[in-house]
Amino acid sequence: MKVPRHGPRGRYVKEGLIRGLLFACGSAAVVITLVTVGTFILGSLPFFQKVSLWEFLTSIRWAPLTIPQSYGVLALMADTLVITAIALIVALPLGILSAVFLSEYASERTRRTLKPLLEILAGIPTVVYGFFALRFITPLLQGIFPEIGFWNGLSAGLVMGFMILPLVASLSEDVLYAVPRSLREGAYALGATKFEVVTRVVIPAAFSGIGAAFILAMSRAIGETMIVALAAGRTPAWPPDPTQPMMALTTTIVNIATGDHEATAFIWSALFAIGLLLFVMTLLLNVASYFIVRRFRERYE
Amino acid sequence: MSEAKRAWRRSKGALFALVAAVSLGLGLVVVAVLLITTGLNSWRLVAMRATADAGLSLSLRSLQASTGSQQAYYPYVVLAQVASNSRAEKLGLRQGDALIRVAGQGITRVSAVWEAVEQAPGGRDLRLPIAWVPNSRQLLGELRAEAIPNTPGRFRVVISTLPPGSPAEQAGLQTGDVLLSANDLSIMGTRQAWEAIVIATQRASGPITLQVERDSQILTLPFTAQQQGELTVQRAAWRALWAFVSSLNEPRYPEHAGLASAILGSLYVVFVMAIVAFPLGIGAALYLEEYASRSTLTEILQVLIANLAGVPSVVYGIIGLEILARAAGLGRSILAGGIALALLILPIMILAAREALRTVPPWVREAAYSVGATRWQTVRHHVLPYALPGIFTGMILTLSRAIGEAALLILLGAFLYVTYVPTNLKDSFTVIPLQIFDWATKPQEGFTTIAAAAILVLLGILLILNATAIALRNRFQMRW
Repeated sequence: MKVPRHGPRGRYVKEGLIRGLLFACGSAAVVITLVTVGTFILGSLPFFQKVSLWEFLTSIRWAPLTIPQSYGVLALMADTLVITAIALIVALPLGILSAVFLSEYASERTRRTLKPLLEILAGIPTVVYGFFALRFITPLLQGIFPEIGFWNGLSAGLVMGFMILPLVASLSEDVLYAVPRSLREGAYALGATKFEVVTRVVIPAAFSGIGAAFILAMSRAIGETMIVALAAGRTPAWPPDPTQPMMALTTTIVNIATGDHEATAFIWSALFAIGLLLFVMTLLLNVASYFIVRRFRERYE
Repeated sequence: MSEAKRAWRRSKGALFALVAAVSLGLGLVVVAVLLITTGLNSWRLVAMRATADAGLSLSLRSLQASTGSQQAYYPYVVLAQVASNSRAEKLGLRQGDALIRVAGQGITRVSAVWEAVEQAPGGRDLRLPIAWVPNSRQLLGELRAEAIPNTPGRFRVVISTLPPGSPAEQAGLQTGDVLLSANDLSIMGTRQAWEAIVIATQRASGPITLQVERDSQILTLPFTAQQQGELTVQRAAWRALWAFVSSLNEPRYPEHAGLASAILGSLYVVFVMAIVAFPLGIGAALYLEEYASRSTLTEILQVLIANLAGVPSVVYGIIGLEILARAAGLGRSILAGGIALALLILPIMILAAREALRTVPPWVREAAYSVGATRWQTVRHHVLPYALPGIFTGMILTLSRAIGEAALLILLGAFLYVTYVPTNLKDSFTVIPLQIFDWATKPQEGFTTIAAAAILVLLGILLILNATAIALRNRFQMRW
């Protein structure tokens, strides 16, 4: 029987096809995740056959190209975390206070002008921040503390703090703004001042959301590449001293990948091991932040 | 409650509000200061382009010399290239000449030339007084080194041919003279003889004293090595900017380096990214918002997408390097870079498109269903038209994210070597952020300036994109 072109059956076929096509698009995320995880596990297998996981995580010396070779990421992790900590020390207080101002004190008009501005600031490419750190902040720091090196973790961390500041401010503002009016009004009804409402009702109510912003900012700082590659240097520091050159995990990846190595060299598998470590670290942080935000939303929406 | 306590209670709140406002202001001010300093830094580009335009390529050299017992380095600036038929060549400047003074300022580093051009009084067109020492061949002719008898390893520098009319001949030097010293700098080699004269001229303002040995007699001759002239340069800001964005990269001379290969590379890579990521992203968003039922699978998809958006871009770089460049055999090419970038952008695009679809209220769909439309007809004719401005906004914002991305492409680009315009998707490439990275890490003077200029170009592009996105959002946003 000939199927009429616009009849019901043709329609169902078309609908089904489109549905299938869109489903295929939707499952691209699954494919990407599987490919990523698969590549990292397969790629790092040869590495972990030669270097034990314990040695990888607890050895201090990262020297894949000098003999005797050593593949310890402890110093790299420590450097990464110190730079991240500096960034968070800058970004958290400033970001949360900015969010409080925008959500609680600023007029609706100011809020509506400044919020898109924050989004635009969050869109400044990180290589630009890296250039700032290397060419302006480091000379500035050297003017104050002469012993600071040309490459140092401090300037990278400070600039990274300003890089993640819009992210922290924007996310915290979202959660503060989402705290229901009824909570505030209840507190006002009891005679609280605005300050008391903000610090004892709104911020505690939004605490989990701010926590999620903190975790997300941390994950962003750990995965940030261009600032540390430009400003922090390429020598791992142990013990981690932010006035000295530091090498972050991401810098190590850039270093290996841009180096002139044979395609079969063992160092390529080290690339996957470090990539896997970075992937796992940021994934855990992101998942944690995702579920915290969702619980926050469920509570108030 | 006492009056004082109540006052403190009130002012505490005001203080807190002030601190909050100041911290917001501080963040904005720091970013503003950084942007302004970048702008100021890139201003030197005008002077750099002015000298380049006149035909000069400058390079720093230095003479290692011993005065008395001290070893010292004397830097000087040499013309590494002089473009043929340029104003500089017409003035008589040749490759290998040493610049001594520009607009009255002594030149001991390359940036001093640009500073002089920048600070010279006058408007756009400038007649710049300059002084230079001609290259060794023109100044002294041919020199040869002769071994000194009975002292092995030591040489003396002898003039073997003297071009007629050369400054050396005019000063009274003759073929066969042995050059001993220029002012207090002793002459020890054929190349070093000219360098010593350059440094002596640089340090003395008038003629220098040359000591020569002729027929076993030591003579002292006054010697004017330096020549003077007026070079016409143009300090034109817009022309400098245009020359900068339209010329190819030049890894040795920052005054000639341009952004053209990087801009085209960015365009190609982002184009490939858009072709891959936009249809996939919109399709995925449509499936999740319009088709998927609330099942565990959908739930997993959502968590995955949200978290893929937070994976560091350098991780996608490794995937691109392994899967696309190596396993798929694409190499470090535009195609590999664009597809890898699409992996990074896809989750962001899905989130943006879903956000846009979610703004279309459910009753639009219900109205369509109630007159018998199928799901696709509903989506195609009723949901998509309303969501389209939002989706466009999302596209533009992800485009600007992609244009600024460097960490991923640093693994897939060949940024150091691209001094050509890529023409093929299989070509290796560089993009604007990588070019900035490369220039920012170069120690030579002038590269900081062009890195800053490239940042301004990049930020300009992003600003235009963002402004378009915001305008679109404001113009077409539906209020339900």
